Amino acid sequence: MNDQKRENLKELVEKFFGAGQAESCLQDFQEAERILREHPAPRPDDMLISNIKAEIAMRLPARRARIFRHRVWEAAGVAAAVAIVAFLGVRLSQQPDRQHSFHASLLPTAIWESNNIVADDVDLAVFTAEIEQIRSEVAALESGEDTADPDSAIAELEMELVELNSDFWKG
Amino acid sequence: MVQGDDLARVISGCKKGDSRCFSRVVDMYGSRCYGYFHRLTGNNDTSDELLSELFVKLVEKIGSYRGGSFESWLFTIASNIFHDYLRGKQRRKKLAEVSYEELEWEIAEPKHSDGEMVDRLQSQLVKLDVETRELIMLRFYSQLSFKEIARIRSEPIGTTLAKTHRGLKKLRQLMEGS
Repeated sequence: MNDQKRENLKELVEKFFGAGQAESCLQDFQEAERILREHPAPRPDDMLISNIKAEIAMRLPARRARIFRHRVWEAAGVAAAVAIVAFLGVRLSQQPDRQHSFHASLLPTAIWESNNIVADDVDLAVFTAEIEQIRSEVAALESGEDTADPDSAIAELEMELVELNSDFWKG
Repeated sequence: MVQGDDLARVISGCKKGDSRCFSRVVDMYGSRCYGYFHRLTGNNDTSDELLSELFVKLVEKIGSYRGGSFESWLFTIASNIFHDYLRGKQRRKKLAEVSYEELEWEIAEPKHSDGEMVDRLQSQLVKLDVETRELIMLRFYSQLSFKEIARIRSEPIGTTLAKTHRGLKKLRQLMEGS
């Protein structure tokens, strides 16, 4: 019964009917509600109320059974979902790590497995310097700065690349 | 007066399937809901049936109550039950080729033959259309705010307020003129 009492009817009526009409409007509400209060509807028979309570008591076990069935289905659904996720997780964990092996294959086995870090670093530095040199020569060729014979320059570059490749893979 | 904490405890018990809590809800709201149905149908037997149906529905649907105004939730079910009853009546009457106006009259017409006491208000209420009558009864028996009623009826609050005002004004005139 609290909702109606919390409502500020005057404010509401003024908002929708305007301040001029609000007073007579509120009076209409109050008068009509007074009439309704003065003419109460019949009350339900005690017998009817008892019958309703008895029917509710009769229906409750069926409701409990329905709730139980519903919960069993819910639990079965959750268990199935967990089983599927676990199965997929196991399957995925058993697959080889392709990404890792791809990165490993980029490095020569000799360097990858070597324990001589200093020598490996020197080799890598040499390779890097050679790659940089080739890159700058290619850039010079593209820009036309190199005035030498282009065919011989390309042949020279190819030779350097072949040499570098074989050195790299030898480790 | 239903106290909030008390009501919350009772509803919680209902959700757990406690029959005593359901009985308490019947005691709390039985009279108001019966009054609502009786003023709409004007018939004791029909009101008895609708009230029983309401509380059976309450048992079935209490799990779907997710807080908020319990009155609003309960009277939404009551209103739906009344509309189902109207539709059922209408279908049966259509089969018998009787117009809706006659149906409305027949629904609300107080039964003198079964010895029921008919009060002055009931005899004037039947002169209002079903929608207005329902709106007035919803407001009076549910004790809901206009905001709640507008939400139940899925219409703007201004529309609900204007319709109720028109209906109450007309009812007042009818009562004063009778």
